[in-house]
Amino acid sequence: MSFLMQADAQIVFAFWVGVCVSVASLLMLSAVLVLRQIAQRRERNHLRAAAFWRQVLSAATQAAPASVPALPWRDMAGFVDVWNELHDAPERADSPGMRAVAERVGLAPKLERMLRRSSFHDKVMAIIAMGYLRSQTSFEQLAGLIDDASPIISISAARALMRIDAVRAVQQVVPQIVARHDWVDGGIAQMLDEAGPRVVEKELGAAALRANDDVAPRLVRFLAAVSPEEAAPVIGKILAEPHDEHLVSTCLQVMQNPADLDKARALLAHPRWHVRMHAAAAIGRLGTADDAPALAPLLADAQWWVRYRTAQALQQLFGSDDARLQQLRDSHQDRFARDILTQVMAERALEEST
Amino acid sequence: MMTAGISPELTSALILMQWGFLAYFICINVVYLALNFIAMFAILRHAREHGASFRVKNFASYQPPVSILVPAHNEERTILTTVRSLLRLGYPNFEIVVVNDGSTDNTLQAVVNGFGLVEFPEAYRSRLHTEPVKRIFASPHNGRVRVVDKHNGGKADALNAGINTARFPLFCVVDADCILQEDSLARVVQPFLEDASMIATGGVIRIVNGCKVQDGLLSEVDLPNKVLPLVQTVEYLRAFLFGRLGWSPINALLIISGAFGVFYKERVIAAGGYKSDLVGEDMEMVVRLHNRMREEKRPYKIAFVPDPICWTEVPSDLRSFYNQRVRWQQGLAESLFGNWRLMFRRNGGMVGWVAYPFMLLFECLGPLVEVFGYAAVIVLGLVGMLSVQAFFAFLFAAVGLGILLSVNAMLLEEISFHLYPRPSQQLKLFLVAVLENFGYRQMTSLFRVIGMVRWLVTLRRRSSWGHVRRSADWQDHEPQVAASGPAAP
Repeated sequence: MSFLMQADAQIVFAFWVGVCVSVASLLMLSAVLVLRQIAQRRERNHLRAAAFWRQVLSAATQAAPASVPALPWRDMAGFVDVWNELHDAPERADSPGMRAVAERVGLAPKLERMLRRSSFHDKVMAIIAMGYLRSQTSFEQLAGLIDDASPIISISAARALMRIDAVRAVQQVVPQIVARHDWVDGGIAQMLDEAGPRVVEKELGAAALRANDDVAPRLVRFLAAVSPEEAAPVIGKILAEPHDEHLVSTCLQVMQNPADLDKARALLAHPRWHVRMHAAAAIGRLGTADDAPALAPLLADAQWWVRYRTAQALQQLFGSDDARLQQLRDSHQDRFARDILTQVMAERALEEST
Repeated sequence: MMTAGISPELTSALILMQWGFLAYFICINVVYLALNFIAMFAILRHAREHGASFRVKNFASYQPPVSILVPAHNEERTILTTVRSLLRLGYPNFEIVVVNDGSTDNTLQAVVNGFGLVEFPEAYRSRLHTEPVKRIFASPHNGRVRVVDKHNGGKADALNAGINTARFPLFCVVDADCILQEDSLARVVQPFLEDASMIATGGVIRIVNGCKVQDGLLSEVDLPNKVLPLVQTVEYLRAFLFGRLGWSPINALLIISGAFGVFYKERVIAAGGYKSDLVGEDMEMVVRLHNRMREEKRPYKIAFVPDPICWTEVPSDLRSFYNQRVRWQQGLAESLFGNWRLMFRRNGGMVGWVAYPFMLLFECLGPLVEVFGYAAVIVLGLVGMLSVQAFFAFLFAAVGLGILLSVNAMLLEEISFHLYPRPSQQLKLFLVAVLENFGYRQMTSLFRVIGMVRWLVTLRRRSSWGHVRRSADWQDHEPQVAASGPAAP
């Protein structure tokens, strides 16, 4: 080590960098190995707990158990996983036997403790489990999480609240759907679907009419999925007024009421191609063969998708009468129109050959 | 450094050079350590928020449809396995467009027979210019699969033809020799669901050599037995787990691997599609998208998904490895120099002010500095002007930092995905992390310098297929449909 006393500063610096990083590398390798051992032990414990409680809870779905073993804290994660998994299977949801097990192991206070103290993943699993447990005592605690910064925690809390008391929760959840752009649409749709149309349609319809054009398309989509009847007047009202083309497109996509067809017909000449496309598709879905002449010019549209959806719409309007489509193709002067009709007819032939 | 017997001017120049090397050495390692730091947070956050097992179910009904583009040129050996594995993806709505780019083997026949395809009169949209398309095939039995048969034009041209054929707003590029996991597509599409301004995402590429594949899906993860793929395993861990993840949270990701990435189709078309006169068309596309979006002052995001989602075979022979690295370096140089306006752009953000200059200075020109350093050491050693003390001290530091970065990548892997569960695998990786500094690193730098030279010599030529010789021994022996055999249902 005497060279360190005589060498240049650069060399000494390089040497100590080498020493430090080598020690750091060895420490990190040790950390990797230790973490591996910890993870393996945790995984083993989790699997054991999950297997044990799966047996207990599965048996409970058949008949209420005479006795239930104690639920130690180290088994909580495994128990909650199985609890949520079994509730996900609709045929097992809300079995009295499972509720009896939950009561005897004292699940509600344990979940509240898990919610306060656990890792992110376990916290989310606890929120979901509370929703399945449907304990009114958890409502206030979960309501406090609905505006959590994490979209996962907040939407999970919203779903749990809707499960516990949908009528009470919908007042808080719908404004959050409007406000939270980070809530994933799939999660919202599932939550609304679980709650059912009766509970959410009024609140959602009112929110869709109040919302600005940026937010309204999402709400219209949710509303149409949950309750087409309640969506129809909302869609009619939106299409009757000038609105953002994205909102208009959305309304055309989810439109189910033939009474709104006139509004769709008027949009076949819209300057934006996606509006023309969705108008053509809506007419194909809800119109009659009399609409064919109005659609025919769109077969020569500059946009491929407008031509394609129009050809499909015409096929829907003509039903199984392929001769009319063929006649239309042969009479059309535009090459692109003929090509797209050929494709759509070939697609049907391909489907029918299977 | 010994300075006896040489002129003061030369001594001053050598001292200046030393300081230059030292400054370069410190800068590159400081940036790497900073990237490690960012990656550590990003991966912990990702693992925390995406690890929750309930999530995937929530999104199924709202996942957008995706067109999977599989450009193929002479991929007869693996194309069926690839398409079959893609068909098993757990994703609600997708189509697979195989683009046969003038293969001279039985690639087309293999797919046509394998899926019972028939010629189909599709009204093809020529939104991006490509070499002529000969025919399009569709399947009466499996509506998801279509094949575009076209004249040879290179991978970029094949991708452009695939984009023209794609029906859906997002397209995913998958190399014909890649294996995806069941949830791969869902994971790489996830950022598009979470952020409306997302225009491209890329996933982690892992090495399939040594693993086992069953029914087109990965069934067992293991390390390769051969040295060259094994070293690349550590290299890939490093490259993906901090090399790319470090840039993603600051929206400065410049590379999405051509083997697996998802793009918003209209943005790619607006940018003019893939350039067929480049060898690194995949990276160039990402750099161009950054450049274009910033030019148009549009809000956008390009993200990296760290879950292990795409498995590919890496070269196990030196010739293929050499070709691959030369090609990568050419691609890097093309992408950076072809989009130089991105650097220090007024609204360039982290990508224009940090990532681009870093890539140019350290990733693109770095191998030149490194090889120059090796040459200087050899020359100085030969003329007796090398300080042995200095040499070993700097070697110790450089190797130590190299190992530290590799071990840190191992740690990131352990705290997030732990794909290699046995301690013996960790020790093997550590050993490789040490050994790669003696020979492999120098060899790679040399290949990359050759790539730079080739880039300078062959500026602007049509992209060709950068094929790697593949053993494909990870494939299971499922009955392959003979290329000329009867059509399967």
